Amino acid sequence: MVANLGIPAVSLVTEKFWPQGDFVANSLGMPDIPRVRLPHPVAGTGADSMRRIAESVVPDILEALRKST
Amino acid sequence: MTTMLTAADEMAAIEQLHALRCTDGLPVIVPTRERVNRLILATGLDGDMVLGNMGPGGGIATVEKVAVAAVMAGCLPDHMPVVIAAVRAVIDPAFDLTEMQSTTHCTAPLIIVNGPAREACGGISGGFGALGPGHRANASIGRALRLAMINIGGARPGESDMALLGHPGKFTYCLAEDEESSPFPPLHTSLGFAPHDSVVTVIGAEAPHSVLYSPTGEVAQDAQRLSKVLATGLSNIATNNAILRNGAAVVVLNPEHAGVYQKANLTREMIQKALFGLSFHRPEDLREIGGGFAPKGDDRGPIHCFRSHEDILVMVAGGTGLYSMVMPTWCAGPHVNRFVTKRVELDIYCEVTFPNQTASV
Repeated sequence: MVANLGIPAVSLVTEKFWPQGDFVANSLGMPDIPRVRLPHPVAGTGADSMRRIAESVVPDILEALRKST
Repeated sequence: MTTMLTAADEMAAIEQLHALRCTDGLPVIVPTRERVNRLILATGLDGDMVLGNMGPGGGIATVEKVAVAAVMAGCLPDHMPVVIAAVRAVIDPAFDLTEMQSTTHCTAPLIIVNGPAREACGGISGGFGALGPGHRANASIGRALRLAMINIGGARPGESDMALLGHPGKFTYCLAEDEESSPFPPLHTSLGFAPHDSVVTVIGAEAPHSVLYSPTGEVAQDAQRLSKVLATGLSNIATNNAILRNGAAVVVLNPEHAGVYQKANLTREMIQKALFGLSFHRPEDLREIGGGFAPKGDDRGPIHCFRSHEDILVMVAGGTGLYSMVMPTWCAGPHVNRFVTKRVELDIYCEVTFPNQTASV
């Protein structure tokens, strides 16, 4: 939705939900929408773990945003 | 433009549909042009009439596509008005179908039928074993909705229907209220409809949880104890109703339990208010068990499971005895797990017979 407004957007999708990400992207007609893969799970692993995961994917997010502009 | 599949024979066609992941895993009736047209005719509607968009894939639900699902499910023409109403209910934005399919919770749409359609649309059962096997209309109508959700909505396990395990109600989950055995006005009349209206009430729900109560004959105490035990089911601290809260839920009273309330002169609304009042937890209990969903802050007061007593649907169905049922729900989504009601259009319905049936005029 955000991407359709012309605002660069990246989807963060955990490993176990990657196929659902494929499904949603295809159904919306946006198969190449930028997505970054996170390990699973993220929710419920505690603040420290979530911080570590966030820090580890920042480069991927920046790369995806650079590619999409 | 409808794409037609071809197969050598009936069995090959069924195998093809399995291979294409168009079935629910059980055998289907092959949707031939003739069979689909018969069910379209029964709706009284045009095959290419659009009912709406169906999540999670956003497929366009036409009457024809719904008829395809209904043929596959084994529906008779008589069932079609209820099938159409149920589809319209789940694609209503208030139902949050996309969110419902995307959640990892086991939720499945439960179809409750009220009014003359119960008889007119194939004899939908609200009696013994109404949620079990043996009732053709119940089984077929519920299944038609599910097959529509699979083939039009595109909901498939692990990729677009994210339920971790699901529950058997995802095959079929449909019953009628036993209005004749109920001491209360029919459910749909409490939701703003007239008794002669036919209505489906659809709600995403867990599998039924059994609630046991054996009356002792002490009128007031029986009613209070029954409410306590039903509230235990409704406020089950392991469910989303307790932890996420603010969703709706369903209570199915068997006629004997309904009679317990009748003897105590309780109306549906009084029962709902009693159940609402009894469905709560202390913040410390929720904090202990709530894990990542534990309430923050210094709340001291009882934390109620429901926003309003009206969110607890109370209906009567099933054989008479010691067991009622509660169905907890997911309690999430933009509309926080609302139930959605739709009128069943019987006036436009066309009576259609199968080739070896005689018309009953």
